[in-house]
Amino acid sequence: MTMAGHDRSGLRKVRIYGVLIALLGIMMFPFYTMFTSTIKPSQEMFNSPATLFPQNPTFEAYFQVWTQTDVLLWIGNSFLISLGTVALTLLLAIPAGYSCARNDFVGKRTFLLAVLVVQMFAPVVLIVGLFDVIVQLNFYNTYFAVIIPAAAFTLPFNVWMLYGYFKTIPIELEESARIDGASQFQILTKIVLPLTKPALVASITYTFLYAWNRLLFVLTFLTDSSKYNVPRGVFSMVGALQTDWRMMLTVSVIGIIPLLILFAFLEEYIVSGMTAGAVKE
Amino acid sequence: MGIAEQYTENTPDSRYEQTVGYLRRNYRAYLLIAPAALFLLSVVGYPIFETFRLSLYRAPESATTETFIGFQHYTTILNSQIFYQLVWQTGRWVVVSVFLKTTLGLLIALHLKGDIKGRKFFRTGFLIPWGIPYAISAVVFRWMEHPQYGYINAILLKLGVIEQGIGILGNPQTAWLGVVVADAWIGTPFMAIIILAGLQSIPDQLYEAAAVDGAEKWHQFRYVTLPQLKSVLLIATLLSTIWTFVSFDVIWTMTGGGPINSTATLVIWIFETAFAQGNLGLGAAYSVIGFAILGVFAVVYLRVYTSGGEEL
Repeated sequence: MTMAGHDRSGLRKVRIYGVLIALLGIMMFPFYTMFTSTIKPSQEMFNSPATLFPQNPTFEAYFQVWTQTDVLLWIGNSFLISLGTVALTLLLAIPAGYSCARNDFVGKRTFLLAVLVVQMFAPVVLIVGLFDVIVQLNFYNTYFAVIIPAAAFTLPFNVWMLYGYFKTIPIELEESARIDGASQFQILTKIVLPLTKPALVASITYTFLYAWNRLLFVLTFLTDSSKYNVPRGVFSMVGALQTDWRMMLTVSVIGIIPLLILFAFLEEYIVSGMTAGAVKE
Repeated sequence: MGIAEQYTENTPDSRYEQTVGYLRRNYRAYLLIAPAALFLLSVVGYPIFETFRLSLYRAPESATTETFIGFQHYTTILNSQIFYQLVWQTGRWVVVSVFLKTTLGLLIALHLKGDIKGRKFFRTGFLIPWGIPYAISAVVFRWMEHPQYGYINAILLKLGVIEQGIGILGNPQTAWLGVVVADAWIGTPFMAIIILAGLQSIPDQLYEAAAVDGAEKWHQFRYVTLPQLKSVLLIATLLSTIWTFVSFDVIWTMTGGGPINSTATLVIWIFETAFAQGNLGLGAAYSVIGFAILGVFAVVYLRVYTSGGEEL
């Protein structure tokens, strides 16, 4: 390569990283405002105009938050709701995905397309009808009132994700196990599911995040504040007349920490889950 | 085969036996999809039916009695001014937000495509806004846009763009912009990741061939990248359009649809009517209109999705 070519590719690199860092800076800016606001003492937080760099950083808000809000309770509820949704979704999606991948039967195409349409049926346009169902089932104001709708709207993604993955597992593996005398259930749990791990992790992560982040179901179907999840808890701090911004932002920072940890470890799976279906190989 | 035998072959009786035989051979397949199918029928299918039914009734949330009123809710809606305001505001919301998400997502993806050191770091960073609760993002944007204490005002004041703090969300003319920005921020990561995956599946040979032909960067983008990316872009914008149309948490947390309904979209109005005002019947009628619009999107999406010869 000539000198000129070298310079050009060097310049190109500088330009690319420059743009990337600028874009990342823009995308990270809300997190910056969120975090720096919470480490200001309360009188500095209400400086007008705002100080862009905290003058006297302090973590005092983080000590106050435990006594002044129910942040731990909300995080606990979020875990409960998310794990419940994951369990219910997998319980329904694994058999359905497996059946579609392994059998050819009348109505399979209809089933799979119907599932795809459900994904389009956003919860909010269904919320009125769903309200009636939840009330009739006597689930109003119980955790089920949130878990059941969340599972319904994550099920489509899970069925398709697992169906696609099960199809790639060679049937010969199952046939040889059957010859060795393994039962249907053993084949699924001992041979198929371990091979499906990447798809399962993607499914679980997607479902977990969906249930963790949703405000609508809790807002509509739960009135008991001791059952609030993180988004509902944060929303409950938005006051009609006055909002305790300092505590609210501190709860927000704490409320997303579990998610950041999840992201750090499972980024690969989250990406593969997001792209499943949208990009054809 | 004799005529008599042919005749018996077609009697309902033998068709019945055929069905039974088919089910006997395939019952396991049906047994395995049954729980998921029944679950979706009762938690999605039945509420759809219930919404249609409720839309024909006067049904206050507080009362136990419902009165049949036919299509009265629909005529009320079509004769109301708010409905046309909602159509305009929803359209503006979807178009502007999806445009921002697509442009920013494309920009990020194009820069992440090459041989980038620390790609995992960048990708994770760009992904995070998508993965945190929308209500939290909404609260943070509300804080950033605060007329007195907000960082955006502080920056604009420092740069000398404005002379005193402006209340973006408090003004009916500008509030929708303040909300659109938050929604675009949340939706950009999905676009970036999908487009990036699409870019990475374009064979290198195409670029090499274009380079040999002396194609400039812009020409490569115009004649190689864009055509190859077409189907991915189409699917991604379609999905994003649907999600933006039904986006609820962000608007509800930031403005609740206000001030004076200027940030309300159709789905915000469903919730407002049904639960804030307690008019389930009218809310259901608005939902049915929402179904109709989603139905159009769904048909287009299924067409696009199955057009690639996807085997089911």
